[in-house]
Amino acid sequence: MNAPFYKFGLFNSDVSLIIAFIIGIAFGFALERGGFGSARILAAQFYFSNMRVLKVMFTAIVTAMLGLYYLSVIGFVDLSLIYISETYILPQVVGGLILGVGFVIGGYCPGTSVVSFATGKLDGLMYILGLMFGIFIFGEVFPYITDFYYSTNMGSVTLPQYFHLSYGLVVFLVVIMAVGAFALAEWSEKKFAHRNPENQL
Amino acid sequence: MTTIVQKISSVFAKDKELVEVKTKPYSNPYLTGIGLGLVLLAAFVIMGRGLGASGAMSTLVAVGVNTVAPEHTQSNPFYSEYLGDGTTSPLKDWLVFEVLGVLAGGFISGSLAGRVKKGIEKGPNITSKKRLLYAFVGGSLMGIGAKLARGCTSGQALTGGALLNLGSWAFMMMIFAGGYAAAYFLRRQWL
Amino acid sequence: MKKLFSELDLKYKLAIIAVLLGVVALFAGDPYSGTSVKVNVKDLALSTVKSSDKINPTDLADWIIQGKADYILVDLRSPDKYAEYTLPEAENIPLVELPNSDLLRNQKIILFSDDEVAAAQGWFILKAKKYNSVYILEGGLNGWKEKVVFPKVPANPSKDDLAKLEKKKAVAQYFGGDLVTETTSTEVRTEIKLPTSSVVPQTTQPNTGGKVTAPKKKKREGC
Repeated sequence: MNAPFYKFGLFNSDVSLIIAFIIGIAFGFALERGGFGSARILAAQFYFSNMRVLKVMFTAIVTAMLGLYYLSVIGFVDLSLIYISETYILPQVVGGLILGVGFVIGGYCPGTSVVSFATGKLDGLMYILGLMFGIFIFGEVFPYITDFYYSTNMGSVTLPQYFHLSYGLVVFLVVIMAVGAFALAEWSEKKFAHRNPENQL
Repeated sequence: MTTIVQKISSVFAKDKELVEVKTKPYSNPYLTGIGLGLVLLAAFVIMGRGLGASGAMSTLVAVGVNTVAPEHTQSNPFYSEYLGDGTTSPLKDWLVFEVLGVLAGGFISGSLAGRVKKGIEKGPNITSKKRLLYAFVGGSLMGIGAKLARGCTSGQALTGGALLNLGSWAFMMMIFAGGYAAAYFLRRQWL
Repeated sequence: MKKLFSELDLKYKLAIIAVLLGVVALFAGDPYSGTSVKVNVKDLALSTVKSSDKINPTDLADWIIQGKADYILVDLRSPDKYAEYTLPEAENIPLVELPNSDLLRNQKIILFSDDEVAAAQGWFILKAKKYNSVYILEGGLNGWKEKVVFPKVPANPSKDDLAKLEKKKAVAQYFGGDLVTETTSTEVRTEIKLPTSSVVPQTTQPNTGGKVTAPKKKKREGC
């Protein structure tokens, strides 16, 4: 009943930066281990031949979700103190679509491009430059799209709150959905194995 | 739980023994996912927040624009949000340090596995020049999309996903929808 | 059974573990319940604001200066008084409107008014609404002025006190005040200036004229 540690004042913001760096190292390490430094493997997700993106991402979500759930139930973590970003449903849906298209074109997402660059990939660097250019463009047009950006605000809302289900039930459903998705992913990888970039290495 | 931890550590221990061998295959995706999930969980428990990536880039962009045209950033709420109130350096930011860590972590893991090699990741049927152009264009789109959605795959999909955040789940589904919809038109780049 | 399990491929083992944990989650209960204080009317009548629910003004001053933005400061006084003087980054929610406020449960909320009474009332209201981390400013704004903005110091500080006083002075000046010596003794240390009695403490940010604005410094925590 004293976590998250930072929010209970166990250390100050300078220490939090050191922790940020350490957590970042672990994050980057895991991404690289998972093959996320390679654009071909990431993009293969969208051609059904290599489903690492889905597998790693959903396993991570399920792990963190279960961990957080049980740590909260036993009273170790105060779940209400963990930051939940607000939902602006329409801009987020549109942003997600743009992101998906950009993912297939660029072959990375922001986090993985950093890993790719760290392992010497030139396209990773180009991607990062493009990313910064895109953010710059967004910053420049921001004054004109402020209304849209702040539209359809739903506050900090979670799936259990929105659908009026118990938290435990949603946790269960997410696990079942993830396991189902993994089964499909395994099947699809077998079917499209001939064009899996991992098999061509 | 402990068995999982043991499994993961044994996987990493195995990796260490093989350092001398050249390029190694990537780790089991499910074990990697558990590792990544534990990193995310650690961020929740220690900091009360999740991971991120594009936020750090935004800070860099805001700082860059601010050095060139300070008046411009003052009048633009998007930039000024990332610059803070001037009491501390905007670069003393959690996400900036975290992304520096990602850079280091990616390099460490890549080095241990013999995967650090200068090169370009591309499909067999596309020129390097075109691939670099695509990477830039894709990156730009991701930049715009990530800012509109208030986060990228790490900050929204992964973090918000584990927190069962409604907006994050909608966003995640849309990434896959957008990706699969666009995949057909870009098959020449990757296949 | 155990043998059967150990012979399975790793991915099936993990899937089984995940599903089992998911099934247990169905019955394990609400993750928010372990943390919130269950209050019914009877409990409420019996509960009191403990000293651990009070935030010392000196600590708060440190947090504000460090820019530690993991809390929301709520001014429970009237908009007029709020416009006159308030703490930096404070939001104005008059006590009568507190029950209908849209304060987030996932943030540390620090309530204050002129003294502790209204803040304590607000504390009960929020606790009854299952807010977990509600605190009140010890001594209210009066205490804030006494301890932070115009802290009293002994006329002849000992050597040990001097280092502490330096810090106190810096903090006080940050919030537009200064040290006040306890007696009107002439033996005032040179660096400790007597403030004129008419000094009105200034907030570090321009007043928004009672308009409720979100704390500007609130850091975006997402990505």
